Amino acid sequence: MSGVRLENIVKAYGALRVVHGIDLTVNPQEFLVLVGPSGCGKSTTLRMIAGLEEITEGRLTIDGREMNRTAPKDRDVAMVFQNYALYPHLSVAENIAFGLRIRRTPKDEIAAQVKEVGGILGLTDYLLRRPADLSGGQRQRVAMGRAIVRRPKVFLFDEPLSNLDAKLRTQMRAEIKRLHKRLGATSIYVTHDQVEAMTLADRIVVMNEGRIEQIGTPMDVFQNPVNTFVAGFIGSPPMNQIDAVIATGDGGPVAQFDGQSLSLPPLDALRQGAGRRVVIGIRPEYARPVHGPAEGAVRITPELVETLGSEALIHAAIGATPFVIKTETHMGLTHLENVDGFTIAPDMIKLFDKETGHVLRNEEGR
Amino acid sequence: MAGAARTVVAGTAEKPPGRISRIAAHMRREWQIYVMLLPTVIWLLLFLYKPMYGLQIAFKDYSLFRGIEGSPWIGLEHFETLFQNDQFIRALKNTIIISFFTLVFGFPVPIILALMFNEIVNQRFKKTAQTIVYLPHFISTVIIAGIVITAFSPSSGIVNTILGFFGLEPIYFLTRPEWFRPIFIGAGIWQEAGFQSIVYLAAIAGISPTLYESAVVDGASRWQMMWKITLPSIIPTILIMLIIRIGNLLEVGFEMIILLYQPATYQTADVVNTFIYRQGILNGQYDLAAAAGLFNAVVAFVLVMSANAISRRYSRTSLW
Amino acid sequence: MKTTTETLHGGRKSMHRLTLSAALLMGAAMAAPVLADDHLKVVDTPLELTVHMHHERYTSYDESWPVELAAREMTGIALKDATIGSNSKESREAFNLLIASGDLPDIVGGLAIKDNVNRYGPEGAFIALDDLIEEHAPNIKAFFDANPDLRKAISGADGKLYYIPYLPDGFYGRGYFIRQDWLDKLGLEQPQNVQEVHDVLVAFRDRDPNGNGKKDEIPYFARQWEELIRLVTLWDGRSSGSDTYHDFFVQDGKITHPYIGEGYREGMKNLAQWYKEGLIDPEVFTRGASSRDFLLGENLGGMTHDWFASTAAYNDKVSQTVEGFNFIAFIPPASVSGVRMEEHRRILIKPDGWAISFSNEHPVETIKYFDFWFTPEGRNLSNFGVEGVHWTMVDGKPRFTDEVLKIDTSVVNQMYAIGAQIVRGYHQDYAYEEQWTNQIALDGIKLYESGDYLIPDFLGVSFNPEEQAVYDKYWPSIRTYMLERQQAWILGTGDIEADWADYLATLDTMGLNDVLTVMQTAYDRQYN
Repeated sequence: MSGVRLENIVKAYGALRVVHGIDLTVNPQEFLVLVGPSGCGKSTTLRMIAGLEEITEGRLTIDGREMNRTAPKDRDVAMVFQNYALYPHLSVAENIAFGLRIRRTPKDEIAAQVKEVGGILGLTDYLLRRPADLSGGQRQRVAMGRAIVRRPKVFLFDEPLSNLDAKLRTQMRAEIKRLHKRLGATSIYVTHDQVEAMTLADRIVVMNEGRIEQIGTPMDVFQNPVNTFVAGFIGSPPMNQIDAVIATGDGGPVAQFDGQSLSLPPLDALRQGAGRRVVIGIRPEYARPVHGPAEGAVRITPELVETLGSEALIHAAIGATPFVIKTETHMGLTHLENVDGFTIAPDMIKLFDKETGHVLRNEEGR
Repeated sequence: MAGAARTVVAGTAEKPPGRISRIAAHMRREWQIYVMLLPTVIWLLLFLYKPMYGLQIAFKDYSLFRGIEGSPWIGLEHFETLFQNDQFIRALKNTIIISFFTLVFGFPVPIILALMFNEIVNQRFKKTAQTIVYLPHFISTVIIAGIVITAFSPSSGIVNTILGFFGLEPIYFLTRPEWFRPIFIGAGIWQEAGFQSIVYLAAIAGISPTLYESAVVDGASRWQMMWKITLPSIIPTILIMLIIRIGNLLEVGFEMIILLYQPATYQTADVVNTFIYRQGILNGQYDLAAAAGLFNAVVAFVLVMSANAISRRYSRTSLW
Repeated sequence: MKTTTETLHGGRKSMHRLTLSAALLMGAAMAAPVLADDHLKVVDTPLELTVHMHHERYTSYDESWPVELAAREMTGIALKDATIGSNSKESREAFNLLIASGDLPDIVGGLAIKDNVNRYGPEGAFIALDDLIEEHAPNIKAFFDANPDLRKAISGADGKLYYIPYLPDGFYGRGYFIRQDWLDKLGLEQPQNVQEVHDVLVAFRDRDPNGNGKKDEIPYFARQWEELIRLVTLWDGRSSGSDTYHDFFVQDGKITHPYIGEGYREGMKNLAQWYKEGLIDPEVFTRGASSRDFLLGENLGGMTHDWFASTAAYNDKVSQTVEGFNFIAFIPPASVSGVRMEEHRRILIKPDGWAISFSNEHPVETIKYFDFWFTPEGRNLSNFGVEGVHWTMVDGKPRFTDEVLKIDTSVVNQMYAIGAQIVRGYHQDYAYEEQWTNQIALDGIKLYESGDYLIPDFLGVSFNPEEQAVYDKYWPSIRTYMLERQQAWILGTGDIEADWADYLATLDTMGLNDVLTVMQTAYDRQYN
C-alpha cells in the first residue's frame, strides 16, 4: 500500500520561510492528522503533498516514488477542501463524476461508481440536485464522494469540517472515521481543532510555526506532551501551566509557587535542580478538588463554575495564574462553589523547563 | 384580504399619532440613509420620470413655442406617417439585422477575450494586452470612424493593401451596401469588446480558487478548467448581460452610422435612429422623432421582458 | 439650466474685461473725431437689450467685442449676451433650446434662423417687422425698396417680415480650377467644352503630368462629393437651385427639382462613365474635407470646382513643395448645347440674421438699432471693424490696416474675433474680402465677370403650417431616395438609363408631386 514520505520539506516564499524542513512518514492505511494553530504551516504542507504548492526544498515520495515535480493529477491523490469546492452548475452526480469524466472513464463505469459512492455516503436521493440545494453536511459528503470515487492512493483533507456547525461536525467526524475504516486508504487530515485530531487520528502531528513539535498517537500526545506548546494545544481544556521554582523538600523535590509547595515525582533532572525555574503542567482532569484542609493540597481561589452536564469546569486562580479543574458532577455538585484547593498525584504532574519549554523526564522512560 | 385591509385602515384611523410618531422616530434615527438616497431619487425624477411627461408629444402636433400643453392632440398620426414610410420600414429592418448580428458576433467576443486574458500567466503581458484592447473604447467615435474610413480606403487603406498582396482588385468598401454591416459591426466589436470584457473578468475573479485547485487535483487540464469551471461559473453574468443587451437591441450606435454611411449605403445602413435624425431632428420634427422613440422603447420593453422571463424560467438567472 | 448659469457667469466675467477694453478703446476713439458726433444715437439714455446669437464659430455674443463697444458708443444701446446652448456648436439645436425654454431675450439672432422665425413668428414668438421698418428704419427700408424680391424671399407665409437678414456681397463663390502647369506640360489648352474636359481628364490620367512615373493622378476631385454632381450642368442638367446642395429651382416660373430633369439624367449617365473610366476621384464619397489639402499637396489632383479665394490660396501654400504649381480658374466649359454656366454663386440673402422677440419692450429702439447697421457707419463697422483701429479711410474706401492684413491669422478669423462679419442683420461689403484675396483668385473672378455665367438663385419659400406638414411628411424621404440612386448610379451599382422610368415612378408614389405643388403654391403667394 501507499505510504507518503516527507524528507526535510521546506516551503519559502522568497525570503519568507513558512515550512522549515519537515520530516514525516505517513504509513500505508494510516490516518494522520496535522494539527496546529492557524499559520503553523499545516495546510501548506498538505498542499505541497497535493502538488498545489511547489516544494522549495526537500523530497516528497508517495509509494516510494519521488513526486516533487509530478503534476497533481499524476500523484494519485484526492483532496477534500474546507469550502467543499463543489461546482455550483453541476448536479451532485456530476460533481462526483467530475474527476472520472476528466480521466475519460467510460460512461457506464462512471454511472456505476457514482451510484456506489452515493450509496456509501447516503447521497442516493440527492444525486440529481445542485449543491445550492444541499445542507452543509451533504455538501461535504459530496466533496468526499468526489474524492472517494477516484480511489486514490492518498486522501488529503484540508479542514473539511470547519464550515459545519458543532453537531454536524461531530456526526461527520464519525462518518469520516467509519469511511476510513471501510476504505482503509492512507489519509492526511489537516485541522486546527484538536478534538477532531484526537478523535480521528491514528497518529497526530502537532505543528507550530512551520515546524513539527511532536508526532505520536493521540493518547501519547495527550499524556506526554514534549513541550509546553503541545501541552497547551492538546486537551480540552488544555493543561494548566504554573511557573514554579524547584526546591528540595522532605520527601523529595517540591515546586514552590505562590507561597505554596507541591511534591513532585522524583525525576533525574531535579536531583541537583534546587532553584531551577520550571513550568508545572497539570491536566484539568487529574486535579481533584478538595474542600477544607487536606494533606498536600494546593490552595486555589475559585472564580466560577461551568457546568457541562456530567462534568463541570471550575475556573480558579493560583495567585495571578488561572487554573482550571475538570470534575465529574456526580462527585458533589453542591460543593463546587466551596472548593478551595486540589490534590494531585505526583505521577500526573508534568514538568517543563521554563527556558526551553521542553518536558523534563527520566531518561529511561515514562 | 379585504378584511385585513380594513383592519389596518381602522387601526390607522384609531391612533394616527402612533404611526406618525413611529415614522418620525424612524426618520430621526435613519435620516442619514434617506439623505444618501436623495440624489438618486432626484436624478430619477428629473432625468427619467420628468421626460416621460414629454412623451405625449408623440401624439401631438408639437410646436416648441406653444409647448407641450399648448400643442393640439392628433392621435396616432405620427405613427401612421412612420409606418406608411417605406424608408422607416427599411430602417427598422436594418436596425434589427444590424442589432441581431452585432449580438450574434459581438456578444461572445468579450467573453472569449475575458477567458483568454484569464489564461495569460505573465501579469505584465496580461496588463499590456488588456490596455491595448480597452483603448479603442476611450477613443471618440469620430476618430474611430476616421480610422475605419482610412483603413478601408481603396487607394491607401490597409485592407485594400492586403487584398492587393493577394492580387485582388481594391474594393470601395464604404460605398458598397453589402459591406456596410460587416464593417460597422466589426468596428463596433473592435471598439467595445475589450471594455465589455471587464465585466466578465470581474465575474471570473469572483470564482473560488479552490474550484480550480480541486480540478487540478482531479487532473483537469487548463482547457478543461476553462470549459468546465470558468465558463459555467460566469453563465449567470453572461445571461444578465445578454438580457440587458437584448433590451438595447434597437439602440444601434447611430453617431457611428452617420459618420460611416453614404446615400450609396443607406439601403443597408439606415437605421431607425439615423432615419429619425434626417427626418425629424434636422427638420425640427420632434413629435415624429418622439413617436419613433416611443415605438423603439416599447419594442425594447417587450424584448427585455421576454428575455428576462425566458432566462428566469430556464436558468434561474434574471434581472428582477 | 446649466447652460444659463454658465452664460451668466461668462457674462459677468466679460463685464470685467469690458471695463478694461472699453478704456483702451476710448483711447483709440479719442483720436477718431467721427465718434464725437451724436447723429447715430438711438437713445439718449443708455439702454441694454439682451441677445441670443449663436454661430458654430462663436457660440455666444461677446460683450467685449470692439465692434460691440463701438456700436454701443455710437448708438447708446448695449447688447447683453443671453445666448442659450453656447456649449454646443449646433445653432439649430441652440435655437430650439431657446424656443423650448419659452424665455426669449429681446433679440434672437444667429445662423439659419429664417425657417424658425417664419414658423414661430406667426405663432407669436417674434414681432413682424414691416411696420417698424416703414416708420423707424429708413436705411433698411431703402435696401428692401431697392430689392423687393429679396424681401419677398425671406418673408413668412403670412407675407410678413420676421427677421433682418445677413446679406452677403460679391457674386462669385465657386469656379472651375485646373492645373495650368499640367496643361502646359502636356501641351494642352484649357478645356472649352464637355468633350475637351473629358480629353484633358483622360490626358491627366494617362500621361503622368506629375512626372513621378506612376499612374496615381486624380483627374477630377472635390471636397464635397456634391461638386461631382455639379458637373451635370455640362450636359444642361442642374444639381441645385441655390447655394444649398440638392435644392429646388425655378424654371419658367415653375418650381421643379434638378434631379428629375433630362439634363440631369444625361449628365449622370456620362458622369457614371467618367467615374468608371477613372477620371473622377474613386474615393470622392469618403475623402471628405481634407481631400483638397491632400490631393494638391501630394501633387495628385488635376481639376476641381471650389471656392475662388481658398482654392487659389493653394498656389502660395503648395508652390514651395511642388515645382511650377499653378492652379488657376478657367471659364465654365460649354455644355453639350453650348451653354457656359456657373451654377454656384454667393447667395444674395442668407437665412442668418436677427429678429425681435415678443417679449422685447423696446421694439422701436431695437429696429432703430438694427437700422444703424445699415447706415454707412454701421455697415463699415460690421464689415471692417473699428475705424482707426482695424481700418482707415483711403480714397473714400475703407482699407484694412497693415496689422490686420499681415497677421498670419486669416482676416475672416480676425474679424470674427472682434465681432465683425458676424451674422447680425447686416449688408456685407465684398471690399472686405477683396483686399486680402489672392491675385489668382481675383484674376479668376475677373475672368468670370467677363462672361455672363451666373444664373439666378432660388431663394426659398415660406410655408404655411399645412404646406409645411406636407413638405415635412414627404420631402426628407424623397431626398434620401434621390441621393441613394444618385450615388448608386455614379458607383455603377445601378444603371440610370434602365432605372430612370422606375425612378420617376417611385418619386411619384413617394409624393414628389405633392411637395412640388405646395412649393408652387407658396412660391406663387410669395413672389407674385
